[in-house]
Amino acid sequence: MMNRREFIKVSALASLSSLVGCRPSVYWDRDAYRKTATSRVAILEAKSYQAPLQEIIRRGIHLFKLDLKGKRIVLKPNLVEFDPKGVINTHPSVIEAAIGSFRSLGAREVVVAEGPGHRRDSEYLLTASGIYDVINEHRVPYVDLNTDDVRRTKLRSSFTNLSELYLPETLFNADLLVSMPKLKTHHWAGVTLSLKNMFGVVPGSVYGWPKNALHWAGIHGSILDINSSLPIPQFAIVDGIVGMEGNGPLQGQAKQSGVLILGDDLVAVDATAARLMTIEPRKIEYLEVADRFLGNISHERIELVGERLERFQQNYRVIENFQELKVLTG
Amino acid sequence: MIDLAIDLLLGAQNEDGGWGSVRGKRSNTESTSFALMALKSLEGKPFNQQTVAGLNWLRQRQKNDGSWSLNDAAKESSWTTPIAVLALLPFQDQSEHVLRAAKWILTQEGRKPSWVASLLVRLSLVKKMTELDPYLSGWSWSAGAFSWVEPTSYSLMALKKLKRSLDGTNCEERIRQGEMLIYDRMCENGGWNYGNSRVLGEALWPYPDVTAVALIALQDRAASEANQTSLRALDGMIREAASGTALSWGILCLTLYNQDVREWKKILVENFEKTRFLGETKALALALLAFGNGASLFRV
Repeated sequence: MMNRREFIKVSALASLSSLVGCRPSVYWDRDAYRKTATSRVAILEAKSYQAPLQEIIRRGIHLFKLDLKGKRIVLKPNLVEFDPKGVINTHPSVIEAAIGSFRSLGAREVVVAEGPGHRRDSEYLLTASGIYDVINEHRVPYVDLNTDDVRRTKLRSSFTNLSELYLPETLFNADLLVSMPKLKTHHWAGVTLSLKNMFGVVPGSVYGWPKNALHWAGIHGSILDINSSLPIPQFAIVDGIVGMEGNGPLQGQAKQSGVLILGDDLVAVDATAARLMTIEPRKIEYLEVADRFLGNISHERIELVGERLERFQQNYRVIENFQELKVLTG
Repeated sequence: MIDLAIDLLLGAQNEDGGWGSVRGKRSNTESTSFALMALKSLEGKPFNQQTVAGLNWLRQRQKNDGSWSLNDAAKESSWTTPIAVLALLPFQDQSEHVLRAAKWILTQEGRKPSWVASLLVRLSLVKKMTELDPYLSGWSWSAGAFSWVEPTSYSLMALKKLKRSLDGTNCEERIRQGEMLIYDRMCENGGWNYGNSRVLGEALWPYPDVTAVALIALQDRAASEANQTSLRALDGMIREAASGTALSWGILCLTLYNQDVREWKKILVENFEKTRFLGETKALALALLAFGNGASLFRV
């Protein structure tokens, strides 16, 4: 039952929508449709960052029969900001393990690429986070997606009024884009996982720091439009060894979870990761919509391999506004 | 460091005369502008050919409305326009270009909340996420977006340098509004990040590069308490965030505030040895500006 406050809110938002104008009845192009009958997600135990992560990730990638021979792989970690006391970013050990795994599986080239959403200073973020040492040691090129060359790209869905976005050339010249988010709650989107991590591919040199044009266009719609329009296939490796709960993505608290989540359906990966945090994926607006065309969020359509989900399921606290996300329905 | 940084910078110049963000990338307005400023600050060295080629690239890409786009692929008028102004100003023969650009800058304004959104916020139907004043007018990164600290700072620098040539315009008022916006966005203990001091009641931390850029834009208010607090904060920040960009902006800012920067120049050299600033054109150019007499190019 909706209380008065909620009713007023919903009414106001409904009025707002009508002011925005008519929406199309079909929100995505035919070629944006990627949903398969079932999806596979791997839940792999990794107790700490000292665990044999390369072996674990390599084993996980093997489960998906990816053709990596001679391919150019772009690893896209989450490096939105740095706080020496926090756990904001994908851990360098996970990135290092992914570099080794993809190389050992025959990739021609592995590139680390990110377009930090808040700070422009990539040198600082890379050195402070420890990622610079990893890419330097393994001689891996780093591409700042914020200042990369750009290509104007027609969006394949229309959940925002953007219709087109500039995307970095690096994406067009690669074969696989690997989203490597941190397992985190998010004070605006509910969760930030492999789909939300793609905000980082949008070039700051065009859209600014923060990528505010996307926020104006709507966070949930932007996540859908970006992910439906990426020019190459994607894979996800979620760093859930230590996640973040509470006021994520920057100021939440560390939460030990000891898990990596992998998959080639980013929607299914994020739905599984949300369930690990005891957050109902159907209550995350962009996941609920993504289930219609980008991938699967239903339990019944996701084949879990590796460890049992329940073994790693923990109560990740969310901010007050998102308490309703915590009621799992399936 | 200087000779190697110059070599890296010159080696990154594209055949079209401009510079990209790193060697091999398409020429863009921001990188070309900072590279030109760096070459100007090294006057006395024989870079005339490279400078002329860079100036030609920049001049030829000014749009009819006076603005510059980011590059040849993203053709919309952009936030890089005031940086192009700062680059052209030291070259005396460019006054026509910079005045057209300044007039374009005056036509630009960051987006403010619509009346519906204002109503919702005022009636507290939407929980207050940030504590900034959304009605202050500054400059945005892209057309139709919100005002942020860095683009506002660049616009203030350009307009303050040109205000004597902009009689009969709203230049003074825009400067006043822009300054108010920057002070409104200051972090709790001084300094600035991209432009949010608090989110959901929690204080956010400032960034050294943005703090230095904002303080440069506000240098004619050096004695104010906010400037002095932020200046002290900057000192601590560049100690922690010792990147080429942070140190160079820090040195430029502290020089304009008459501070001793010798220690920071030593650290800048040490940092260059470690990372070569990732080969980023802007970071290399800023380092050359910081090491030489580049601060004078940012004096308003």
